[in-house]
Amino acid sequence: MGWMYVLFAAIIEVIWVLGLRFSVNALEWTGTIIAIILSFYFIIKACEVLPSGTVYAVFTGSGAAVIVVIDMIFFQGNFSIFQLLFISLIIFGVIGIKLTSDEPSENNQDTVAGGR
Amino acid sequence: MYWIYLVIASFGEIFGVASINLYLKKKTGYRLLLIVLTFSFGFLFLRLAMKGIPLGTAYAVWTGLGAAGAVIMGILFFKESADWKRIAFLFCIIIGAVGLKIIE
Repeated sequence: MGWMYVLFAAIIEVIWVLGLRFSVNALEWTGTIIAIILSFYFIIKACEVLPSGTVYAVFTGSGAAVIVVIDMIFFQGNFSIFQLLFISLIIFGVIGIKLTSDEPSENNQDTVAGGR
Repeated sequence: MYWIYLVIASFGEIFGVASINLYLKKKTGYRLLLIVLTFSFGFLFLRLAMKGIPLGTAYAVWTGLGAAGAVIMGILFFKESADWKRIAFLFCIIIGAVGLKIIE
């Protein structure tokens, strides 16, 4: 069930990103805010059963990739090969950082990086 | 200007995550309000940034700088590990973000 929560969170994340960009009326804004809250909720639920660094790495990596693809297909986003390369580098870095956040360290009780 | 909005939005994310940590230590209404305010602030500026920066770029940079900032803060203030792997990944994010801005 933990990975289902991650999947829901990632899908809803994409929805609120689109909402944040394109919302113009009260109804759309309400939907966007609900989506933001829901994505937080599913991430927290996922972190209850899975390591938070792993959850965030998968969630944010897939979210960022899907948003680039949607941008290219639906919104005529023209990404040059260098832009895609730099975006991949960011996603790679985020996934790496989140995964290393799961490694146990004895003086570490609170993990900021594992937060959202 | 849009890139400045994007950096400000990332700070919203960083302080948002920090306030979640504060809240988890001591669950008070004031700290919960702080979470809502910091994230709202971040989302507002992300919206502004998205008006001038493509969605895919804006989201990747926002989430990347947010993660990088959280790690830097974790290392500085919460005694998280600062081994070479984490520093290397940190540089990947920063190079990616700066690169996107330069070739824009």
